Amino acid sequence: MESAAAMREGDLVRITGLTREFSSGGGLMTPRRTMRAVNEVSLDVPRGKVTGVVGESGCGKSTLARLVLRLLDATAGTVTFDGIDLASLSPGQMRKLRRRMQMVFQDPYSAIDPRYTIRRALLEPFQVQGVVQTAAEARATVDELISMVGLSPRMLSSFPHQLSGGQKQRVGIARALALRPSFLVLDEPTASLDVSIQAQIIDLLESLKEELGLTYLFISHDLSLVRYFCDRVVVMYLGRAMEILPGAKAQPRHHYAHALLDSNFEPDPTQRKVITMLAGEIPSPFAMIPGCAFAARCPAASDLCRRERPALEDLGGGHMIACHHPKN
Amino acid sequence: MALLSVKDISVTIGKLNLLDGVAFDIGAGEILGLVGESGSGKSLTAMCVMGLLPRIGGRITEGSIIFDGREMIGLPEVELRHLRGKRIALISQNPMTSLDPIIRIGAQIDQVSTLHLGLSAEAAKARSLDLIAQLRIPEPEAIHGAYPHQLSGGMKQRIVIAMALAADPDLIVADEPTTALDVTIQAQIIQIMVELVRDRGLALMLITHDMGVVAQACDRVVVLYAGRVAETNTVEAIFAEPHHPYTRELIRCIPRLGQAPGSLKGIPGAVPSVVDYPAGCRFNSRCGAAEDLCRNTVPALERKTSGLAACHFSEV
Amino acid sequence: MAALDPIRKAIRSPRGAGSAAVLVLVVACAVFAPLLAPYAYDIQNLPGANTEPGWAHWMGTDEFGRDLFSRIVYGARTSLTVAISAISISVAAGLTLGAMAGYFGGPFDRAVTAVVDLTWSFPEILIALILIAIIGPGLESTMVAISIAYLAQFTRLTRAQIMALKNETYVEATANLGAGHFHIIFRHLLPNALTPVIVAGMLATGDAIILEATLGFFGLGAQPPTPSWGAMMSSGTAQIFIAPWIIIFPGLAIALTVIAINLFGDALIEALDIRNRLRSS
Repeated sequence: MESAAAMREGDLVRITGLTREFSSGGGLMTPRRTMRAVNEVSLDVPRGKVTGVVGESGCGKSTLARLVLRLLDATAGTVTFDGIDLASLSPGQMRKLRRRMQMVFQDPYSAIDPRYTIRRALLEPFQVQGVVQTAAEARATVDELISMVGLSPRMLSSFPHQLSGGQKQRVGIARALALRPSFLVLDEPTASLDVSIQAQIIDLLESLKEELGLTYLFISHDLSLVRYFCDRVVVMYLGRAMEILPGAKAQPRHHYAHALLDSNFEPDPTQRKVITMLAGEIPSPFAMIPGCAFAARCPAASDLCRRERPALEDLGGGHMIACHHPKN
Repeated sequence: MALLSVKDISVTIGKLNLLDGVAFDIGAGEILGLVGESGSGKSLTAMCVMGLLPRIGGRITEGSIIFDGREMIGLPEVELRHLRGKRIALISQNPMTSLDPIIRIGAQIDQVSTLHLGLSAEAAKARSLDLIAQLRIPEPEAIHGAYPHQLSGGMKQRIVIAMALAADPDLIVADEPTTALDVTIQAQIIQIMVELVRDRGLALMLITHDMGVVAQACDRVVVLYAGRVAETNTVEAIFAEPHHPYTRELIRCIPRLGQAPGSLKGIPGAVPSVVDYPAGCRFNSRCGAAEDLCRNTVPALERKTSGLAACHFSEV
Repeated sequence: MAALDPIRKAIRSPRGAGSAAVLVLVVACAVFAPLLAPYAYDIQNLPGANTEPGWAHWMGTDEFGRDLFSRIVYGARTSLTVAISAISISVAAGLTLGAMAGYFGGPFDRAVTAVVDLTWSFPEILIALILIAIIGPGLESTMVAISIAYLAQFTRLTRAQIMALKNETYVEATANLGAGHFHIIFRHLLPNALTPVIVAGMLATGDAIILEATLGFFGLGAQPPTPSWGAMMSSGTAQIFIAPWIIIFPGLAIALTVIAINLFGDALIEALDIRNRLRSS
């Protein structure tokens, strides 16, 4: 069966040359320093698909998530949602658009106000958006939302601290779905959960996507999870998109993507591997690197890599790579 | 004979019964994985082995812990402290809690060998530099003189491992040593740590929630669930033919390369909280094959075709 | 109701129970003063001046022959009214300023922090004295002076709470729903920041009673014949060797009330488990 969303073609979100800088210091004693958390990232998010963004800490994936939802304003570049340039919207228009794009947060433990009951947390989206509901409608809404994420309506009068981590994350998902969005940014929704719960949540997200025809941008540090869950995978390093894999089966050709894949231990003792040690560690994000961000640690780096930044090029079939010397 | 033998220990903190009959052995030169999700009691088991339980107000009510032929329970604190520094070393999850922020890295490693091996200052420094180099840290001299805050998380954890190795212990207890680190760094540290431990013939008790790390590094595995041992076996057997349904489900929770979409299901429910453990098998509420027997009778940890498992219905 | 649970828990501890009893008594004096006082507070009886405590006058009379017990009962009214109103104003203003500064940051925050740090470095009494020197003595001036003297404390505490809370995920999650600053501050941040500030306010009420008494002692607070514990002690200093009770009883009233407030506040901190949050300011 084809889901409703998959039948509509095209990109729901288009990201072009997106850049965000942060500054620190600039006081009396410290010089002002600027870092680029996200550095000229261009990316399309096709409708009804799961686009994954994978990378290690400091790669800019969480900043990217916030830029896409305009929880942060971009320093340069644009984000369009269904053809609308987000930066052109007034605060009122932006508020209205938030009904269509929502986020599930990494830390379910602090994603709900500890003083709110689950019912109140689930009704808050409507309150914020000025949607007036009768008491009966409100009851029906929260009942439906809580059942949709596989929890019992008995939990509605509980406080967050009475729920387990997995249950809290389900409430976080229900809250994100309350306003019937078409686009969800999932910012490491399972990173703070146990593996048995992580798999439950991924399963839930998969079936909700089919049921409601959702489009996901899935942020994670876990390459095996991303390769399982996502239709396309973007590998980020130090604020830059290094490689875009068109599917789970596509073999990465960027040296960093390879290292990431290599670092992933399979749950199978017959497939033990010897890791090729990367030289050094992730450079400071404040270091403005002229060439390829990975050059300092890359086994194949040449002078060209240190001098000139490789552009993201299409290898065909949607496989894009930013590397002067891709692996074969 | 096993280097460390944990025999049916039960642990309480206040009125809570946190561990119930946990038992396993570690032989010299063996890497044992202790796996479980949060609330399984894996870190508490490490504290028992380190003799640190009283510090968190815990008490071992039953069982015994034999290290190198000697009972550890009831040992005076002075002797425990000697054992801890010299013969059993700990690597904890957060390197920041193991390193003193105001003392230079080198001095902290030196101190371990002067204290426990009686080395002179020069000999200790030479030994520390050698250890730093073995952990593949570039420019050992520079690092020796640096302060902890000047190092990245991955580097700090390597220093903690160097400190653990410095006293030439027989057993290293590593409690989620790479959980706080990035994947590429985690992979490297696991590899280095396993190499060094194997080279020296040390025993390693590796506590983790990551089945991938277990598969990569361990010889034998103990699976803990809600304060009890669910299963123990060689690493090959655990993955090839798990006897306990929990082990089987836990392995299935990790997505594999090329796994079909929609086939990742997870284990229904959540790990029960210590205040309301179910009667019988503690996994019964989440188990697809549970029957009345499982809800009433605690399954004993029994010998199966290979290894031990605590399940009434594991076929073999 | 859940909000009353910590108070119930505080009352159950021994020091909480004792201090709560004293506080109920003092508040009762203030509220029911006309019913409890055997005499009017301002009736003079010069022939009966400096009478020792006895059956007619339980605490004796002062240098004008006024019944000391009645004056102490009415004095509770003055002390509590001034202290509670001053601190309430101060808490309200501190919550607003601290929340704005902590939430928005930037130049406004720097300005508020600078002023707050400046006043923080002077003792409250000095600030109050300077203010009264400017606006003149009297009950209202005392109230204003006290509320301004304590403003820094509540602003600082609120700001610290808000700064910590605004990084919680639920704040970002609510912003992501489309909520404005007003909603975030009043529906999420302030309710979560309120408890420690209220408890700090309660503890400050004890200090404010002392401050009011001090100002009264110097004749800068309530003007005669309005009874104020501080002013009563001040008039007692002249009679200290002839009629020591004139200074002792108001002194005891102040001490007892302030100690009770502090003990109860302490029990409440314990019950709410917020000692760290108070210290963080």
